[in-house]
Amino acid sequence: MEIRIRGVSKYYYSEGKTIKALDDVNLTIPSNKIFTLLGPSGSGKTTLLRCIVGLETPDAGEICIGDDVVWSKDKNISVPPEKRGLGMVFQTYAIWPHMNVFDNVAYPLQVRNMPKDEIRQRVAETLRFVQMEGFERRPATKLSGGQQQRVALARALVAEPRVILFDEPLSNLDAKLREETRKELRAFLGKLQITAVYVTHDRVEALALSDSIAVMRAGQIVEIGTPQKIYFDADHRFVADFIGRANLVKATVIAEKGGCTVVDCGLGRIVCQHRDIPVGSEATLCIRPEFIRIVSGAAPAAGNLAACNSVEGRIESLVFVGEVYEVEIGVGDEHLLARIDPDAKLKEGDSVSFTLDPAHCLLVAI
Amino acid sequence: MKKLLAALCVLCAAAQPQAQDKAQLDKARAEGKASFYANITAVEPIIKAFTADTGVTGEYTRISTSKFVATMITEFEAGKLMADVVQAPLPVLDLLKDKSVLASYRSPAAAGYPEWTRKDDKVQIFGIEYVALIYNKEKVKAADAPKRYEDLTLPKWKDKIVMPNPANHATTISWLVGLKENVFKTEAEWRTFLQGLAANKPMFVASFGPTPAPIESGEKLIAISMPKYIVTKAPAPLDWARVSQPLMGTPRAIAVASKAPHPAAARAFIDYWLSKKSMEMLAKDVGEYVLAPGIYPPIDGIKEAKVIAIRELSDAEIQKWGAEFKKIFDVK
Amino acid sequence: MNSSRTKLTWLLIAIVGALTVCPVVMLVLGSFSEGLTAFGHFTVDKYVAAYTDPGFYEVMVNTGIFVLASSLLSTLLAIFLAYLNTRTDIPFKFLFKIISIIPMMIPHLLFAVSWALLLNPSNGLINLGLKEAFGLDSAPLNIYSMWGMILVEGLLDLPIAYLIIAPAMASFDVALEESSRVCGAGTWRTLLRITLPVLRPAILAAFILGVVRSLASFAVPSVIGMPGRVHVLATYLYEMIATGFATDYGKAAAVGMSVLVASVTLIVVYRALTAESEKFVTISSRGFRPSVIELGTARMPLFGLVGLLSLVLIVLPVAVLMYTSLVPYSMVPSAKAFSMMSLKHWSDVLNDPISLLSLKNSLFLAVVGATLGVILSVFVAYVIVKVKTRAAGILESLSYLSFSFPGIVIGVGFMWFFVQTPLYATIWALLLGYIATYLPYGIRPMSSAFIQIHSHLEESSLVCGASPLTTMRRIIVPLLIPGIVSGWILMASMFVRELTLSVVLSRPGTEVLAVQILRFSEDGLWGKLSALGIVMILISTTLVVMATLVGNRFKAVQG
Repeated sequence: MEIRIRGVSKYYYSEGKTIKALDDVNLTIPSNKIFTLLGPSGSGKTTLLRCIVGLETPDAGEICIGDDVVWSKDKNISVPPEKRGLGMVFQTYAIWPHMNVFDNVAYPLQVRNMPKDEIRQRVAETLRFVQMEGFERRPATKLSGGQQQRVALARALVAEPRVILFDEPLSNLDAKLREETRKELRAFLGKLQITAVYVTHDRVEALALSDSIAVMRAGQIVEIGTPQKIYFDADHRFVADFIGRANLVKATVIAEKGGCTVVDCGLGRIVCQHRDIPVGSEATLCIRPEFIRIVSGAAPAAGNLAACNSVEGRIESLVFVGEVYEVEIGVGDEHLLARIDPDAKLKEGDSVSFTLDPAHCLLVAI
Repeated sequence: MKKLLAALCVLCAAAQPQAQDKAQLDKARAEGKASFYANITAVEPIIKAFTADTGVTGEYTRISTSKFVATMITEFEAGKLMADVVQAPLPVLDLLKDKSVLASYRSPAAAGYPEWTRKDDKVQIFGIEYVALIYNKEKVKAADAPKRYEDLTLPKWKDKIVMPNPANHATTISWLVGLKENVFKTEAEWRTFLQGLAANKPMFVASFGPTPAPIESGEKLIAISMPKYIVTKAPAPLDWARVSQPLMGTPRAIAVASKAPHPAAARAFIDYWLSKKSMEMLAKDVGEYVLAPGIYPPIDGIKEAKVIAIRELSDAEIQKWGAEFKKIFDVK
Repeated sequence: MNSSRTKLTWLLIAIVGALTVCPVVMLVLGSFSEGLTAFGHFTVDKYVAAYTDPGFYEVMVNTGIFVLASSLLSTLLAIFLAYLNTRTDIPFKFLFKIISIIPMMIPHLLFAVSWALLLNPSNGLINLGLKEAFGLDSAPLNIYSMWGMILVEGLLDLPIAYLIIAPAMASFDVALEESSRVCGAGTWRTLLRITLPVLRPAILAAFILGVVRSLASFAVPSVIGMPGRVHVLATYLYEMIATGFATDYGKAAAVGMSVLVASVTLIVVYRALTAESEKFVTISSRGFRPSVIELGTARMPLFGLVGLLSLVLIVLPVAVLMYTSLVPYSMVPSAKAFSMMSLKHWSDVLNDPISLLSLKNSLFLAVVGATLGVILSVFVAYVIVKVKTRAAGILESLSYLSFSFPGIVIGVGFMWFFVQTPLYATIWALLLGYIATYLPYGIRPMSSAFIQIHSHLEESSLVCGASPLTTMRRIIVPLLIPGIVSGWILMASMFVRELTLSVVLSRPGTEVLAVQILRFSEDGLWGKLSALGIVMILISTTLVVMATLVGNRFKAVQG
C-alpha cells in the first residue's frame, strides 16, 4: 500500500515561538517495502509517523494511504487513527499491563467484533509467527523487553494492517538483544510483504533494515535513497555525516578529468567521484575512515589514478577498539580518523602514507 | 483596691459574716484559679468579671453535651479531673453525683433562691433551660401564633414546624414528657396532641442550636425552641407564642467537684456565679431564665410567664420515651 | 540492606501502631466493659444491644446505598475532571487545581448547610427559581433525602478522589492509549478498556478512601439525613449514644467495630486487587509530549460543565458563607437582607480572644502537624511500596485504623488513651491524634510518588556507598517533592478544620478553629460561624499557596 504525503506541515507553539516540526514535507512511501525515516532527535521523524497514523493532526497538506485520503486540510478530511487500518509498534511497546499476552494480541480483533474462534486461531498463528507460542496466558507484566517487543509486533500484525509503523522499537533493548531483534524483525518483515514505515535515529538500524531511507532534518526530508546510496553516495554533507563516521575536509573544485572531479584541499590535490559542481566552487570532501588505506613500502606506480590520491601524514593517536585500531592521522592542519588492521605495526608519531580510492572520495555540497 | 471592694460588696450581699468571706477569698486567691466545666453560651463576660472582681482566674472549659459525662468520668477515673466547678443540666449533675464526682457545698449566695432549688447539699439549681414555641414574627401575626400547645396540631402548621429530634434529643424528650405531667389533663389528650404534632410532619434537627435558623430565614414558621434566642439572635424577627399554659424546661445546676484542685476557689466561683450581678448578666446577655429573685431576661412578657422545672428523667426513662416517640413520630 | 529495611519496617509498625492502635484498643475495651469508660467489668451486653436493634438492618441498607453511591459519584466525577484536565485541550485548566483543593477547606457542616439553603423544599433558592420558571405548585427538589445526601457527600469527597486520580492520570503512558486507537478502538472504547483498567489502582484507592470517609462522615447525615429522616450508621450511632445524658461510647464502639472490620477488609481487598498492577512500572517514553485530545465542538459545553461544578463546589458555598457572615441572621437574599448587611459578626469574631487563640493553635497544628505527618508518611509509604513484605502489609492496614473508625467515636478512643498519659489536655495530644488519624492522607500521595521511582535509582545510590538514610535524603526525597507537597497540603488543610478529635481533646488554651466553629453552631450563631469559616478558608489557602511555592522552588533548585 503506497503512502503519499503532500505538503504536510505541523507547527508547535511554545513560549511564544513557532517551531516547525514538519515543514512542507512531500514524500511517497512505496508499497511493500521497508521505509525508514532517519534523523537526529527533533528532526520531525516521529511527528511525521504520528501524522500518518493519525495521532497528530498536521496543520497543512494531505496524506493518502493507498487510494484513501486519510487527512486533507483542503478537503477537510480527517480519518481518526482507529479507522485507518494500520498497525504500530511503539517505542515503549505499550503492552497493556492489565491484560495477558493473548488479550493484548487479540484486542485489535476483538474491537472488530470478530468471532471468538477466529480470534483464537489468528492470535495463535500470529504468536507462532513471532515465536511466542505458549505464552498466551502470561501476564503482560511478566515479559522481558524482547518478549514485549514481539508481543507488540504480533498485536500490530494480527489484524493484517495495510501498513505497519515502527516508532524506534529497538531503543529500549540492550545492545546485544537489539542486534538479534533487528535481524528477526528483518526476517519477519521480509516474509510478510507489507508496507512498513520505520522511525529511528540509529543509522546502523536504518542501514540494516531498510529498503529505502529518508533522512530528515529540522522538519524537512533532506535525501531519500537505498542504504547503499545514502551511505556511499550521499548528496548532502549532513546526510554523509549523519549516516556514518566521516572525515569532512573543505575543498575547492579545480577541474573535471576523466569522469572524475578534482579538488584542492588540505590534503593536497584529490581526485574524487564525479559530481556536477562548477569548477572554482567550494565543496566538502567526505572520506569514511574505513577507506583510508595505509600504504606500506613503495608508493604505487605513477599513472595509476589512485596514485594521485596518495597522502603523507603522521600518526597522532592510536586506540585499540577490538577488531581495528582507530587512528588519528595529522596532515597539515587536517586531522583524519582512520580504521586500520590491528596487526599493523604502527605507533604514535610514525610517519605514514595512505591512499584514497577516488570512488570513495565523495564531494557533497557545503 | 476598688475591685476588691466591689467584690466584697457583692459577697456582703450574701449576708454572711465578713470575716469568713475574707478568709475564704484569701484561700481562693492563694489557689490562683478556678476551673469551670460547662456547656453554656456566652458566659465569658461573667468569667472575666469574676477574675477581675476576685483576683482568682476563672477558666472556662466548654465540653459538648454529648461528650460531657464521658469526659468528666474518664478524667475522674484517671485521677485527672481538672474541674473545680461543674455546671450542667440537673440530670447530668445527678449522674455525676452518683459517681461521687461532686462535693458538698451550700453557697450563702443562694440564700434568696426558692427553696426547691436547693435539692441537696451538693447541687444548687440556678436556672431553667426553658422551652417555648418560637415563631417568625414577620411571617406570622401575633394573633395567629398558638395560644395553647394544642394549637401546634392545627393543619395550618403542616410542614411549617422545626424541632429537635424527639427520638433522641434528651431535653426535647423531657419536655414532651413534661407536657404530659404538667399541662395535659389526661394521657389520652397528650397522646392526641403528639399524634397531631407528628401529622404536621415537623422537620427534625439534632438539637436546639439549629432550630432558630430555619425560622429566621422563613424556611419554617415555628419551632419548638428556646426564647433565649430572641436575645442572642437579635435583630432576627423571632418572638415566642404566649401560650396560656406554663413554659417548662430542664433545671440548670451547679456544684463543686469532689476532687477539685482548687476547692476554695471553687466555692468562691459558685458564690460569684449565684450572685445577683452574674445572674443579671446571664439573664440580660444570654437570655437565660434564672432563679435569682426578681431577675428576668429582657424578653417581652417573660416576667408574667409561668416557668416551671420539669421533673428529671433518668436515662432509662429518656430512652424508653425516645423509643416511644420514635414510633409516634414515625421516625425511621 | 535487607536487615536495615526490616528494622525500619518494625520501627514504623511500632510508631504507627502506638499512634493508631492504642485508641482503638481503648474502644475495644470500652465496648466490652460495663459503665461509661474503658475499664469496667467485662460484658457483651453492648454488642447484644447494638446488633439486636430491629432498626439496625434498615440502617445498614441505607448506609450501604449512601456510602457506595456517594463514593461512586465522587470517583466518577474525579475521573471525569482528571481526564479533562490532563488529557484534553479544555480551557482554563487552573480551575481544576482550585476545584481540587478549596472544598477541602470548607467545613463540611457549612457545606451541607449551604446546600440545604439552596435545595430545601420550603424556600430553597433553586427550588424557588424552578417553581417560578415552570409555574410549579410544589418544590421539585428535596435535599432532605437519600439522593440529597449522596449528592452532597459525593461532592465533599470529590477533592480527595481527584487528588489521587489526577497525578496517576498525568503520569500515565499515553502510548498505551495510542496503541489502542491504532488497533482500531475509538476514544470511548479506549477509555473503557485501556485507560480506566490501567488506572485501576488509583481509581480503587479513590473509591475506597471515599467509602471510608463517607462511612465516618457525620455532617451530611446529621444536617441533611436527619431532617429527611434517612438514617445511616453515623446518625444511628449518634441517636444510640446521645439519647439521654450519659452518652455510652462503649456501645457506639461496639457498632463502630463492624465499620472498622468493613474498612480494614476493604483495604486488604484493595491491596490484593492492585498488588499485580502496582508492580508494573511502565517504561516511560522519552521526551514525547503527551498528545491532548481535541474536544472540538464538545470543548465549550464540557467547560461549561466544569464551570458549573466549580460554581457548585466553590463559589456557592463560599458565597453563602460570605453572605451569612454579613447579614444579621439567617435570611433569604432580598433587598432587605442586603440593606441590613454589616461587619458586626466579623468584628465580634476578630475581637474574641478565644477565636484568636484558636486561630493561632490551628495554624501551629497545621504547620507542625503536617510537617511531622509528612515525614512519617515518607517512611511509611516507602516501606509500603518498596518493601513488599507481610509486615509492610500490616503497616498499611495499621495506618488506616483510626482513620476508618467512625468520627464520633474515635475521638473518645483518643481521650481514653491520652488521659492515661501526661500529654492529656496539652496541644501535643491534639498533634499526635491528628497525625495518627489522618496518616492515610499523607501516605496515599506519597506511595503514588514512590511507585514512579525505579528501584534502580536508589540501588545506584546504595552502590555508591550511601547509607539508606542518606539515600532517602539525597535521592528519594528530592524525587518525591510533588508527593510531599500534595501530602502536606492535604494534611495541613485537614488539620486546619479538624473537628472530630479536637472536640474531645481541646481544652482552655488549646482551643482550635473547628471547635470554635462548633460552639457557634451549637449556639445557632451562623453569622459568626461563617466569618470564622472564611478566616479558616483564607488560612488554608495561604498554607496551600505557600506549600506550592516552596515545592516549586525546591524543584527549581534540584533541577
